Amino acid sequence: MAPFEVFWNPFDQADPGPCMKVVVTNTAETIEAGRLLGLEYPAPQAITALLDTGSPFTIVSRTFAKNWKLFQTNAGVPIRTMGGDCLCDEYCADISFPDSGLACVQSLRVRGADFNREPFYSCIIGRDILKNWDVRFYGKAKSVTIKCS
Amino acid sequence: MPLAAPLEAELEVFERNREEWSREHLGKYVVIQDGRVLEPFFDAYDDAFRAGLREFGVNRSFLVRQIWIKEPIYFVA
Repeated sequence: MAPFEVFWNPFDQADPGPCMKVVVTNTAETIEAGRLLGLEYPAPQAITALLDTGSPFTIVSRTFAKNWKLFQTNAGVPIRTMGGDCLCDEYCADISFPDSGLACVQSLRVRGADFNREPFYSCIIGRDILKNWDVRFYGKAKSVTIKCS
Repeated sequence: MPLAAPLEAELEVFERNREEWSREHLGKYVVIQDGRVLEPFFDAYDDAFRAGLREFGVNRSFLVRQIWIKEPIYFVA
């Protein structure tokens, strides 16, 4: 299978970095159990995610997590960023990568944090997902290719 | 009356037991709802979550927390 290709411009400092579409939802078991009780969940929606080798884990916008009713499993977890320390929530979620051919990641512990003033993306794909892939950066060609390793 | 913060009661149970659990279950995952703790402890987050789902359902959140003596702080760049 051909690798999935993402385009970005490393020569443009305003470019946020390589991004792709992801769909973050509750796990299939969570949705099934909830629907049996009559609970409703929003339809899946693709959001933009940054491929970030600098993050040990995947993070979604806390606003997105609340709006999409992700099942929360932890709160008040500290993380450190260059902007200072902050506290994350944690959610159990499935993550898929539409139109990429990449396999869905199931029952992942996803962190939720505020993406203050971030205009480009509302999710960071961290090393917990990247470790499953073969990712190659081609700077001069302005592309990144991804395939399951 | 103000609403309790999410998982506040479960986090209190966790903190009360952290030291004891750290001695025997370091690095494992514990599942808690209110004062109820699922046993045994779990090696993986997804296994712990599924066990919590089976036991507690989805009506209310339950805590899935990895056991450390001191909470690690990971750096995100």
